[in-house]
Amino acid sequence: MQTIMIVEDDPVIREELTFLLENENYQVLTVSDFETVPEQVCRARPDLVLLDLGLPARDGLSLCSAIRETAPIIVVTSRTSTLDELRALKSGSDDYVTKPYNIPVLLARIKAVLRRNSGENAEPDVLKAAGLQLSLSKGVLSANGQTAELTRNELKILSHLMTHAGEIVSRAELIEVLWDSQIYIDDNTLSVNMTRLRNKLEEMGMPDVIKTRRGMGYQL
Amino acid sequence: MTAREFISDRLGQIILRLALLFATAAFLLGTGTQPGIITLLLIGYLLLFLWEQVSDFWHTKKRLDELQAIMRELDQRYLFTECVSPHNLYERKLFELLRLSGKSMMETVSGAQAAQKEYREYIEQWVHEIKTPITAAKLICQNTDSNTRRKLLMELAQIDAHVERALFYARTENPEKDFIISKTELSAICEEAIQNHKSLLIQNGIRVETQDLDEIVYTDRKWVSFMLGQLLQNAARYHGEKPVITLSGKRLGRHVQLAVKDNGIGISTHELPRVFDRGFTGRNGRNRGGSTGMGLYLCKKLADALEIGLEMQSTEGLGTCVTLTFPAEVNLTNM
Repeated sequence: MQTIMIVEDDPVIREELTFLLENENYQVLTVSDFETVPEQVCRARPDLVLLDLGLPARDGLSLCSAIRETAPIIVVTSRTSTLDELRALKSGSDDYVTKPYNIPVLLARIKAVLRRNSGENAEPDVLKAAGLQLSLSKGVLSANGQTAELTRNELKILSHLMTHAGEIVSRAELIEVLWDSQIYIDDNTLSVNMTRLRNKLEEMGMPDVIKTRRGMGYQL
Repeated sequence: MTAREFISDRLGQIILRLALLFATAAFLLGTGTQPGIITLLLIGYLLLFLWEQVSDFWHTKKRLDELQAIMRELDQRYLFTECVSPHNLYERKLFELLRLSGKSMMETVSGAQAAQKEYREYIEQWVHEIKTPITAAKLICQNTDSNTRRKLLMELAQIDAHVERALFYARTENPEKDFIISKTELSAICEEAIQNHKSLLIQNGIRVETQDLDEIVYTDRKWVSFMLGQLLQNAARYHGEKPVITLSGKRLGRHVQLAVKDNGIGISTHELPRVFDRGFTGRNGRNRGGSTGMGLYLCKKLADALEIGLEMQSTEGLGTCVTLTFPAEVNLTNM
């Protein structure tokens, strides 16, 4: 399990962020004494530090330079000007996220920095669920010894359903997931894509593998 | 100064002098002076008087023209009194008074500027402070059930949009200090803007299409992203049936043009020239409510500072298209 250290002076954000990241299966450490942040980072050796620049005790940027050797850093700040961003990146932070952050974006950035620094591809290329096998890089679905090529939209929909196999996924959630992958569709387009996906599954002899839960969403 | 102005200014004096002259002539005639001598005296005196007035007019006019020329050539006209040297006592006293008046004006102006600067700094400070609770609220939302979450996130996004506008409004007061021109992918700017308004767009059932955004532009990413955000908010606010927003890039010689097109309710022709005016809301804004008339005004100001050409076409009932023409790399003046 990867460890993330949160250096943030606002207690509510600290608490909620901890909760959020723990839900995403990270181990979370928080700092409440801001005088000795570099020492604490040195001791804990986290895989990533989320650093708020507006700390009470020390200037965030100097802190950033002080811990850059020990751990990768994502700077989180409410300062939004390009100059601030430039300064943060110059002081050795790996990425820069402005408050109020878009949570999926923050999680994606965290994932990207962790992957970059651990040097391995954490995302599996092949997903398996409910008798289906999906190759993400090729966009090919196989089941019952047959294969089918999926479009980008279908691939995203199915991969999300497969990673949440057994759970009910609402249409709104699916739309949001697609938007996060630069597919900006509306409700109708989702229906069209869903129908196509189901037709392909049916041709492969897997009808009804995606169940519709009335008023709630879809379930694999 | 014209001769007519000069004469009308001195009319009283001239009449008085002439009256005195003729009274003297009458007196001399009464006391038995020969008419020939009086006529001679009269002519001599009148000539002298005329010459005096003409030369006076000439000198005054020359001096005034000189002063006006100095004023015309000055960049900072309030420095006038520093650039003229008095020719006589009267001018010295007059310029002294002007200088005092100018000084008092400068004090008032610089006081107002300082107050405005403080106010702007306070607004910026406030915006940064308000973002912490907004972030906290967003995180809290993340851990509540999905229906409430979606609604709350919508409201928070609205708050965030208002706050952003306030920040950019404060920044436009002194824009050159806040932006950095860098090489940026058009697609990255568009993505950022769309992501920032995701919940608003999804909630309004809008489909966004992107075309040919693989262009490089030289601009400030954050500012343009803010501008696109305003356009997206407008498109979401004034959408029609089956709303679609299309973001498309196009290369025009050395320039790159980005078009943001929607199929919304559009703007009537007579309101179109005023959409970038400060506080202009138009009929759509009034009908729908909640319009501040600030979004497009800020866009225009930021676009001007970044040397982006901002234009809007619209047909009522069919939709609106806003184009941003980015400056070519070689044309970037020293901003």
